[in-house]
Amino acid sequence: MTTKSRSRFSLALDVLNHGALTLVALLFLFPFFWMVTNAVRSNAEVTAIPVRILPHVFEWDNFAKAWTQLPFGRFFFNSMFVASSVTVITVIVSCLSGYAFARLKFPGRDALLMAYLGTLMVPAIMLIIPLFLIVNSLGMVNTFQGVILPVAFGTFGAFLMRQFFLSIPMELEEAARIDGASRLRILVSIIVPLSMPAIGLLSLFTFIGQWNNFLWPLIVMTGSDNATLPVGLTYFQTQQGTQWNFIMAGAALSMLPGVFLAILLQKLIYNSIALNAGMGGR
Amino acid sequence: MAPIEDVSGPTSRTRSRWGSRLDRREGRTAFFFLLPGLIGMVLFLVVPIIASVVLSFTNWKLLGTPQFVGISNYVRLFTADPQFWPVLRNTLFFTAEYLVLNIVISLGLAVWISSLKMGQRWFRVVFFLPTFTPGIAVAIVWMLIFAPGGFFDFIMRSMSVAMPNMLTDQTLAMQAVIIVSLWAGVGYNTVLFNAALDMVPQSYLEAARIDGANAWQRFWKIRLPLISPTLFFGTVMTAITSLQVFDQIYVMTRGGPGNATATLGYAIYQRGFQNFQMGYASTIAWVMFAMIMALTAVQFWLQRKWVHYDN
Amino acid sequence: MKLTTVLAAAFLASSAFIATAQAQEQVNLTWQMWGDEKDAALWKSLADLVTEEYPNITVTAQISGWTDYWTRLPVLASSGQIADLVAMQSMRMPSFYSILEPLDAHFASDGFDVSAFETSIIAGLGHDGTQYALPYDVGPWMVYYNRDRFAEAGVAEPALDWTFDDFKAAAQKLTEGENYGYAVQSFDFVAGPVALGAEYFNDANQFDVTNAGYAAAVGEFVDLVAVDKTSPVFASGAGAITGSGRFAAGNAAMYIDGPWVLQQTKDSVDFNIGVAPLPRGEGESRFITAGSGWGISATSQHKEEAYKALQVLTGPKAAEILASAGRALPGRLAEQKFWYDVAAKDVAGTHEVLDYMFAHSTPFRLNEYWNEFENLITQYMPLALNGDSTTDAVLADIQNQLPF
Repeated sequence: MTTKSRSRFSLALDVLNHGALTLVALLFLFPFFWMVTNAVRSNAEVTAIPVRILPHVFEWDNFAKAWTQLPFGRFFFNSMFVASSVTVITVIVSCLSGYAFARLKFPGRDALLMAYLGTLMVPAIMLIIPLFLIVNSLGMVNTFQGVILPVAFGTFGAFLMRQFFLSIPMELEEAARIDGASRLRILVSIIVPLSMPAIGLLSLFTFIGQWNNFLWPLIVMTGSDNATLPVGLTYFQTQQGTQWNFIMAGAALSMLPGVFLAILLQKLIYNSIALNAGMGGR
Repeated sequence: MAPIEDVSGPTSRTRSRWGSRLDRREGRTAFFFLLPGLIGMVLFLVVPIIASVVLSFTNWKLLGTPQFVGISNYVRLFTADPQFWPVLRNTLFFTAEYLVLNIVISLGLAVWISSLKMGQRWFRVVFFLPTFTPGIAVAIVWMLIFAPGGFFDFIMRSMSVAMPNMLTDQTLAMQAVIIVSLWAGVGYNTVLFNAALDMVPQSYLEAARIDGANAWQRFWKIRLPLISPTLFFGTVMTAITSLQVFDQIYVMTRGGPGNATATLGYAIYQRGFQNFQMGYASTIAWVMFAMIMALTAVQFWLQRKWVHYDN
Repeated sequence: MKLTTVLAAAFLASSAFIATAQAQEQVNLTWQMWGDEKDAALWKSLADLVTEEYPNITVTAQISGWTDYWTRLPVLASSGQIADLVAMQSMRMPSFYSILEPLDAHFASDGFDVSAFETSIIAGLGHDGTQYALPYDVGPWMVYYNRDRFAEAGVAEPALDWTFDDFKAAAQKLTEGENYGYAVQSFDFVAGPVALGAEYFNDANQFDVTNAGYAAAVGEFVDLVAVDKTSPVFASGAGAITGSGRFAAGNAAMYIDGPWVLQQTKDSVDFNIGVAPLPRGEGESRFITAGSGWGISATSQHKEEAYKALQVLTGPKAAEILASAGRALPGRLAEQKFWYDVAAKDVAGTHEVLDYMFAHSTPFRLNEYWNEFENLITQYMPLALNGDSTTDAVLADIQNQLPF
C-alpha cells in the first residue's frame, strides 16, 4: 500500500517535472513563433501598435512571394554547395592534422598546437581585409573557391579531432603497425571508422557555421546569382525600406535544412558530444 | 579541452617501443599529414594576422596608401580616445554577466533534462535550435520583440508593469543584448553538459545513495566534480566568443543608446568598416586579442583549483 | 609528340590573338549597383539602352543589397576591385570621391551641359568643385502626412511655408494615446535644423554641432518628443519600428523622408497620404536635397566607353524609364513629369511641394566624416529623447567624438 502510494507520488512528481520543463521549452521557442507569425502578416502590421499576437489576415503566400521575389532556389544551391565543400575539406584536413598532433612525434609539436589554439582567439573581423587582398591576388574574387578555401582551414577542427583521437586506445593501431601498415592506412582504415561520431559532429558544426556565414560570402561574391542565403536575405533591405515580413519568411525557410538535420542527426550529435564530454575527462 | 601536457602520454610510449631511429621517419610522415592544413593556415590565417598586426601601426584609411605611424594608435587608444574605457568596461561587463548566466542556466537545464524519464532528446533539440538560425535573423526577431512599442512593451503594459523600453534605456539595453545572447548560446552548452552528466557511471551514484547521500549531495560531491573538465571546456569556449560579441549589437542597438552597449567587437566594426580607420581598428583588435589570451590563460591557471582530471 | 605541342602552342597563340582583336571592338563594362530584384529588371533595361546606342558596349550590373553595398564598396576599393561604373550617393561622396574619375575633362571634350539636371544634386555629386558622378534621382527631405488623420482631428493641411510652430501644433493635436502626431527618426536632426536655419558646420566646413543655433534647433525637435510627447523615442538600432513603420501602420500622422520612398509608402498604406515641405523657422524656408547617381571608376580600363555608357544611363530615355516605374524622381528636370504622373499621381500636392522645395534648396554641406556624424546621432540622440540626458550634453558628446 505504501509503496503503491509512493510510486503514485513519484509518478505525479514526474509528470510535474516534464510539464514544467515543457513550459520552459515553449517559452524558449517563442521567438520562432514570432518569426513565423511576422512572416505571414503584412509589412505594415509588423510595425503596428498595439501589437497583434496573431496576424489580422494570415498571408501564407508571403513564403511563396519571398521565395519567388528573389532567386531563393539559387541561394539554396549556393549555400549548400559552399557549406558542403567547406565541410569536406575541413574534415579531411582536420583528420590528417589531428592525427599528426595526437599520434606522431615531431619537433615543435606542442608549440605548433599552441599556435593553432592561438589562432582561435584572433578576432575574425580583423582578418577580412587582408584576406580579401590575398584572395584578390590569387584571382579568386567572385569565385566559389574564393568563398570556400579561406574558411576551410580553420584550426578548431584539427584541435577537436586531436582530442578525439587521443581517446582511442593505442593498442588498436599497434597491431596494424606491426603488420607494416602505413600511417595513412591506419588513419583511414582504423582511426576514421572509430571516429565517425566525432567526424559527424565536426561536419555538422562546420556545415551549420558556413550555412549561416554572412560577412565573407557578402564581400567575395558579386551579384544575386552568386549570393548565399544569409546574403540573399539582405536584398529585402532596399533603399526604399525593408520588407520585414519577407526577411522573416526567408529566415524561417533558410532554417529548415538545419532543423531537419538537427532532428535527423539527434542521435549522432548526442553520441558524439557524449564522446566529446568523455574526452574532456582526460 | 584536454591540457596540452598530456600529449606526452602516448608519445613517450611510442619512443620506448619503437626507438629513436624511427623518429625521423615519423617526423616526415607528420610533415605530410600537416602539410595541407599548414598551407591553408599560413595563407589564410597567418599572413592575414601578420598583415593586421602591421596595419595596427599604420593610419590606413582603406582608400589610399597606409603610412607607418609607430605606436601612436596604441597611445591614442589608451590615453586620448574618450570611448575606449567605456567600451572596455561594457565588454567586460557583458562577458562577466553572460558567462556566469550561460554556465549556470545551461548546467541547470542539463541537470533538469537528465532528470527526465522520457523525451530527453526532444528537449535537447529544442534548446539547440537557435544554433541553426542565421545570427542576423536571430537578432532581427529579437529586435522586433524589444523595439519601442514592440511585443515586450505590449506584454509589460498588459501586465501593468511600468518599465522603460529595453532598447532605449541606458541600463536595460545591455540586459536586452545579454538575453538575446543567452537565448542563442545556451543550447550548445546545455547539450554538452547534459551528455557529460549522462556519462557519469550509474554505479558511482548508486554507491553514494547507499552511503546515504541525498540528491543534493550527490550532485555537488559526485556529478559536478566528474563533469568539471567538460564544464571547463564549455567555459573557455564561451568566454572566447563572448568577448567578441557583435551580431546582436549590430542589429539591435548599434552600440546605443549613447555608448551603453558599445563593445570592443562593435567598436572594431564601427571604426574599421564605417569610419574607414582600418589601422586604428586593427589596434583595437589586437588589444582585444590580448584580453582573450589573458582571460584564457587565467582560466587555465584556475582550472587546477576546481577541475578534476580522472586517471 | 613535339609536333602536337607546337601545334597546340600555335593554336593557343592564335586564339589569344583573336581574343585580343575582338576585345578591342567589344567592350563589356561592369556596373556596381544596389537594389532588389524589382530594381534589377530596371537596371537591366537601362543597360540594354546602352547596347542599343553603342552596339559594341555591353553593361553588366553587379547588384548588392542597399545596406551592404556600403560594406562592400570600401573593401573592394581597397584592392582596386571596383567595377567600371560605380553607384554613389551624394552623402557618401566626400568619403569616396577619390575612387572616381573626374568628369569635367570629359564634359569639356564633348560640350556636355549639366544644366539639364537639378542644380542641387549636381552639386551633391561633386566634391570641391569637381564633378564625379551624374545623378539618376534627386529629392529633398519632406514631411509625409496622413490626410485621413488630419481630417479626423480637424487639423488644416500644411501650407508650403508652414512654420515649426504650425508643425508642433499639428503634432500635438494629432497625438492621442499610442497614436502619435509625429514619429521622429535620426535624420530629422539633420534636415530639420537646417530647415529652421541652423548650421552644424563652422565656416571651415568642420563639425561644430554645439553652436547655439544648431543646439537650439535640435532642442526644438527633442522637445517634441521629450516634453510634448508627440512622438515615440526611436531606438538606435531598431530599424523596423522607426518613423516609416509607425507611419505605414497608421500609428504616426507625420514623418520625414525623401521622395525616393513615395511609391513604396503609397503602396503599403491604406489611407490617403500627402506631402509637405519641412517646417521653417523665423526666416526663409531652406531645404537640403540628396540623390544618387553613377560615376566612372578611376581604375577603369575603359573610361571612354564608360563615359559613353554613363551618358546613356543618365540620359533622358533612362530617366523616363525610372520615373515611369516610380523608381526615381529624375535628376533631369525635363523627365520629372513622368514621375509626377505615376508615383505621385494620388498624392496631394507633390508637384507644388517639390517645386517649392527645389526653389528653396540650400547646399547640403558635407565632409569626409559625415557617415560618422550620422552614426553618432543615431546612437546618442535617444538619450536626449527619453530624458536621460539633455540636448546640450548629447551634442557635446557627439562633438567630442568627431575628428577635426
